[in-house]
Formats: sequence, C-alpha cells, structure tokens
Amino acid sequence: MPITADQLKPQTSGVIEEVTNSPLKINLMELGFLPGKTITLSYVAPFNGPLAFLLEGTLLALRKSEAALIQIQPA
Amino acid sequence: MAEALSTLQRTLKIAIIGNPNVGKSTIFNHLTGLSQKIGNYPGVTVDKKSGSMNYKGNQYEIIDLPGTYSLFPNSEDEIIAHRVLNHLGESEKPDYVLMVIDSTQLSRGLFLATQLIDLGLKLALVLNMSDLAGKQKIKIKTFDIFKSLGVPILTTDARSASGLEAIKDLIHDQNFGGKEEFISIEEIVPESILGVVKQRFSFNNSYQAYQMLRFASKDKTISKVDQNWLAEHIKSNNFSLEEAQLLETKKRYAKISKLVESAVQKEPTAIKSTSKLDSVFLHPVFGYLIFGLILLLIFQAIFAWASVPMDLIDGFFAQLSGWAAGSLPEGPLSSLIAEGLIPGIGGVVIFIPQIAMLFGFLAILEDTGYMSRVVFLMDRWMRPFGLHGKSIVPLVSGVACAIPGVMAARNIGNWKEKIITILVTPLMSCSARLPVYIILIGLTVPDDTIFGIINLQALTLLCLYLLGILGVLVTAFALKQILKSDEKSFLMVELPSFKTPRWKDVVFTMYNKSRTFVVEAGKVILAISIILWVLASYGPSSRMDSIRQEGEMRLASATEAEAAQIQAETSSKLIENSYIGIMGRAIEPVIKPLGYDWKIGIALITSFAAREVFVSTIATIYSIEGDVEDDLTIREKLAQQTYPDTGEKVYTRATAFSLMVFYVFAMQCMSTLAVVYRETKGWKWPIIQTVYMTSLAYLLALVTYQIFS
Repeated sequence: MPITADQLKPQTSGVIEEVTNSPLKINLMELGFLPGKTITLSYVAPFNGPLAFLLEGTLLALRKSEAALIQIQPA
Repeated sequence: MAEALSTLQRTLKIAIIGNPNVGKSTIFNHLTGLSQKIGNYPGVTVDKKSGSMNYKGNQYEIIDLPGTYSLFPNSEDEIIAHRVLNHLGESEKPDYVLMVIDSTQLSRGLFLATQLIDLGLKLALVLNMSDLAGKQKIKIKTFDIFKSLGVPILTTDARSASGLEAIKDLIHDQNFGGKEEFISIEEIVPESILGVVKQRFSFNNSYQAYQMLRFASKDKTISKVDQNWLAEHIKSNNFSLEEAQLLETKKRYAKISKLVESAVQKEPTAIKSTSKLDSVFLHPVFGYLIFGLILLLIFQAIFAWASVPMDLIDGFFAQLSGWAAGSLPEGPLSSLIAEGLIPGIGGVVIFIPQIAMLFGFLAILEDTGYMSRVVFLMDRWMRPFGLHGKSIVPLVSGVACAIPGVMAARNIGNWKEKIITILVTPLMSCSARLPVYIILIGLTVPDDTIFGIINLQALTLLCLYLLGILGVLVTAFALKQILKSDEKSFLMVELPSFKTPRWKDVVFTMYNKSRTFVVEAGKVILAISIILWVLASYGPSSRMDSIRQEGEMRLASATEAEAAQIQAETSSKLIENSYIGIMGRAIEPVIKPLGYDWKIGIALITSFAAREVFVSTIATIYSIEGDVEDDLTIREKLAQQTYPDTGEKVYTRATAFSLMVFYVFAMQCMSTLAVVYRETKGWKWPIIQTVYMTSLAYLLALVTYQIFS
C-alpha cells in the first residue's frame, strides 16, 4: 500500500511512485525526487524536525510537510 | 600602442554555471586568481562575480553564475542565470558557457546542461569530483555523452587541482559546442504561442521564447510593457506554465535517464550510506552538543584571539593620529585629519580581524559541509519564530558582529524569513557592546561571588547576552505576525559529503568579505566620523571664542600643576558648547526619565555611529587626561560624577542598568545600517530597523530605570 515519505521508518526505503501536485513539486523533482527512484530515510531531527533522505548517494534534507508530498511504495 | 591593440581585440566572455556544491567556485578561483571583482546586478541581492583570465597572451572574462539546479524561476539566483544567458538587462551575453557537473550526480547536472543546450548556447561540460566517482566505482563513458549532446567534456578533480589546466586550454581553443536541441519544446508548448514571442523579442530559438514567458513576471529588468504583454499572452492562450514545467521536467529526465543508463557503469553495491560521521553530527543529542562546542570555539577565537591584532590596529591608528597631530602644521585641516579622518579609518579597519576570522570559520564550516547539518538540526527550533534553519548562521555571527551576520542572511531564499533575520540579527549582543557593558558593570556591580562560585559581574554580563537573545526571539515572533508574504517557506538542502576544507578558498573568502566590508561600510563610517568630528569641534563662534579666551587667561596666571586641570576644564566646556553639546542639551529632557544627563546624551548621539564610541566619548567629555584606553581612570571619573544641583551621583545602579539595557536594544551602528541598506537595496528596512530597535531600547531602559531607582 502506498504511503508518503514522511511515514517511512528510519533506515527503511521505498520507491517513489508520484510527487503530489503542489508549488513545490518542481523543486522536489529537480532535486531528483522522481518516480522510480529509491529513497532511504537516513536521519531524523528530533521533535518533528527535518528528515534526511538518501537518494542515489546524496543526502537531502526535507521538512516533514515536504516529505509528505512524496508518495512511495515501501520496500 | 599595446593598450590600443588590446581594446580592439574583443575579450571573450565565458560564464561558469552548475548545481550548488559541485566545486564551481574552486574552478573559478583557479582560472581567475586574485583578479576577481564583485559587483551588483540591478534589482537583486545576488553578487556579480567576475574575473579575468590571462592565458597564452589572451585575456578572457570569466563570469561566475550562482549555483542552480535548473533554469526555472525559483529564486534570484535563477533569475540572474536567466538574465545573463539570455542577454537581458545590462548583462552582456557570454560567448560560451562552462557547465560544471558533480560526476556522482550526473543526471542532476545534465538536467541544467540540457536546458542550456536547448537555449542554443555553446558549452563545455566539466565532470568534476572524478576521484569521488572513482571511489564510488562510477565509470562514465564520456564519449557516449559527447555523441549524444555534441558537447566537449573534460574530467577534473578541482580539490586536488587535477585537470584544471586543461580547462584553460579548452577556453583558449574555444572548444565549445552543443546540438540543436535536446528535447523539443514545441512538443510541450505549441508554436502558435511561442512564435509571436520570438517575433516580438527577435529570438530565433523557441526555448528562449519559452524562458521569456516563464520569467516574465519575475525579472524586473523586463520592461513593464513587455511584462504586461507577456502576461496577457499567457492568459489569452489559456496556457499553464506549471503544467508545461512539469511536462518538461518529466521529458527531460526521461531522456537523461536513458542516456545515463547507457553511459554510466555503476557497481550496485557501491552506494553506501553517507559517512559514519553523520551518525554523530546529526545525532539528536551529540549533534547539538558538537554544535555548541563549535560555537564556543568560534566565540573564543573572536573574543580572545582577534583582540591581539585589534589592539595592534588600535595602537597603530592612535600613534598615526598622534604623529599627524604633532607633525602637520596646526590648522583645521590637520585636526580634521588627526582627529576625524584617521580615527574614522581606524574605526573601520579595527573590525577586519573579527570579520576575517568569522568569515574564515564560516567558510570552513561551509566548505566541509557541516553548515547544512546545522541547518538540518536547527530548522525545527527557528521556525516557530518566523525564522529559517539557515537563520542560525547570521544569528551566531551576530555575537561577533552584525555586519557579517546580515551579509550571511542572503543565503535564505524566502523573502520574509530573510527580512526577519536581517531585522533581528543586530539584537544579538555584538563585540562592540562589550566595552560598554564592561565599564558599566565594573562601575555598579560588586565583584562578589554568590553561592560560592558565581561571580556577580560575570552573571550580569551573561544576563545582558541572554536579554539580547530573548529580544531576538520575541521580535522575530512579532515580525512573523506583522509581515505578510504569500511565498511558501520550504527547506530543501543537500547535505554534501564531508570534505576537508580547501584552505586557499577559505583565505579567498576572508579576503573578499573583508574587502567588501571595508569598501562598502567604510565609506559610510568615514563620512559619519567626519560629521561627528565637525559637530564636536565647532560651535557658535561667540560662545566658543569666549571659552578659549577665558582658558588662556587662566592659563597665563596658573602654576604648572594647575595648568593640566585648567586645560581639561576648558576642553570639557568646549564640548559642552559645541554643536554636539548643544544637541546633547536639547535631548536631555527626553533622556532624563531614563536617568541620563546631557553628557550621556552626547555619548548616545555619538555612539549612533558605533557603540564602542561611547567609551571614547565619555572619556573626552569627562576630560580625562592621558591614556584614553585606561578603563580604571574612566571608571573612577564616572564614579565621581555628580549632578551639580543636587549633588547626587550620576552613575547610580539604576542609571547604569538602564544604560546597559539601552545598549542591548538600540540600533547604534552605522556600518550595520549601511550593510542592511546594501542587502535590502533601499532605505526602507534600515529605517524601520532603527526606529523599532531604538524605541524598544527607550521603553525598556525606562522600565529598567523605574524598577531600580
């Protein structure tokens, strides 16, 4: 069942299915959050802080609300 | 003759562009060396960095464009790239483009590169960080990419400077190229829409026309008439820019993925989690602890280590000023040089060690990749106050000096968060407040310890710093409610892999930032110091003359022991009757409720130029003979000050506390205002900042005085 990237548990991965339409969609896509890519949630800042995802060898930090735009199929 | 020849031959312009963190500036520094110039683009805060490269007898102009991921209008950086690459506004079109790509992030780099190709630009690709790619077992068949894009490719490793000389040869041979188009924009936007745009702006490239539509409302250098026409054109054709952008992104990435699949060999096991360092640096507990320790180290450096060169500079200018006073022929011009100009320049130069050191540290933190980790850690704690994770850099810098802090705020993309950061940064207690705090604390707080270990004076000092921080948070929170912005705040930062700093680049940054400060802020500080000197040296001539005459008469009949005393009294009277003294008298009714007399009023006026002037001003006013820098004598004099009518002490605890609170909050720094003006491109925000900070200072000082008196 698809979930959004902010729901991933630390150190687990998922494959991106789609990025939800929003003004930030382009920004996410140009950073490389594209359908078909695998992302891993690597680090979490405390008290609902930003999330750091590993995407093709790069670590990218997003706020929870932004990660919630990324729909994934958990691996 | 030689000059005439070189102007005949046109200098080729080469623009360097690339994603953030790909080593673009190292390549730029290597090509241009110390010949860099930092200028302004009209209407934006992005600096224009350019430099010249001399190679094999030819000169080339190299333009460093800001790091971007795409040519979509996301921020000022992209607007600049768009403007320069399309020859809009004042910028001149570069002849060629050097596109720097991180070898380990090929597809992301190619996204921007193929946009440049579609714009009809001739470019060359520099695949940088080849050693990192090697470590990750990534093999790139550059010939496949060349075949597909028609663009010459170089492989470099900028950190170890390998392959950089080849870039010079490539530029010299003008070895740039590019296919007609990578993706066809006509498949996304109908030619019926693009055709008229091409016609109107006489473009012959459809992608350029599409770019014009996209940036229409963002670039202020496009004339209002053209902007309205473009907006109308978009509307009348029922054309959705967002949809077109999304479609373009998908098509472009799909084609790039195919290319990368065939051109890149990757061992699947190669990608491992980022360095183990991150599990410490991003740790929910140790991460913050390490950040605290790093801050401590920086403060230590800025307060303790920077004071050595600062004292040297201070001493040097004092001597220079004394020498000038002694050896120049007496007259108003000499005294302007000795008492106005030289101390004025000294007042600028003295900040160089702190600014250079702070920027050195910031450059190291940035270059190693640590700074984006701090943004990651702090974003959560900054947001409730209308600030961004990136605001932490300006705020931390503010403890040393608000000037580099305000300058660092330009990295914040969101307008509202940037303005709030700029407005509150000067509330952090900077090093210039320290001399004022120390002299007033020494005067009124006993050097006792409570609970056996806590020194009362140190505790007071700590409270003043905390008060500043509290001021930052409360004001930021208030500004968050007041300022309106539709712009959505977001945090999307790459946490680049940890690297050792490039010392040459660190030194470059230190040099460039110090130079910018001296030139930009220096002009203003110098002007103000001269004005202050004039106001303090001159007054209505009838009054001034009679005081001088009286002084001379008394001197004539005085013994040697009395002479110094009389001279001191005369100079004190002269200041009282100078224009600035008259101003001090004039504001006395206003500052009386805060517990200040007119002499403190003068110090408040003069320290509007710079806070630390407080000490030297009261030193002059209380006509202390001999060494102005000697805190003890000043403190003793202050302790002796009484009101002539009542005989009560001027510097009571209530007055001193009220004065300290005033200095915590008041906007008293011309240099900061000059930098805020420069960063916000107008007088609106510096004026708002002065008004709100000074009102806050007045109110809180009033409350403090009423509580303690």
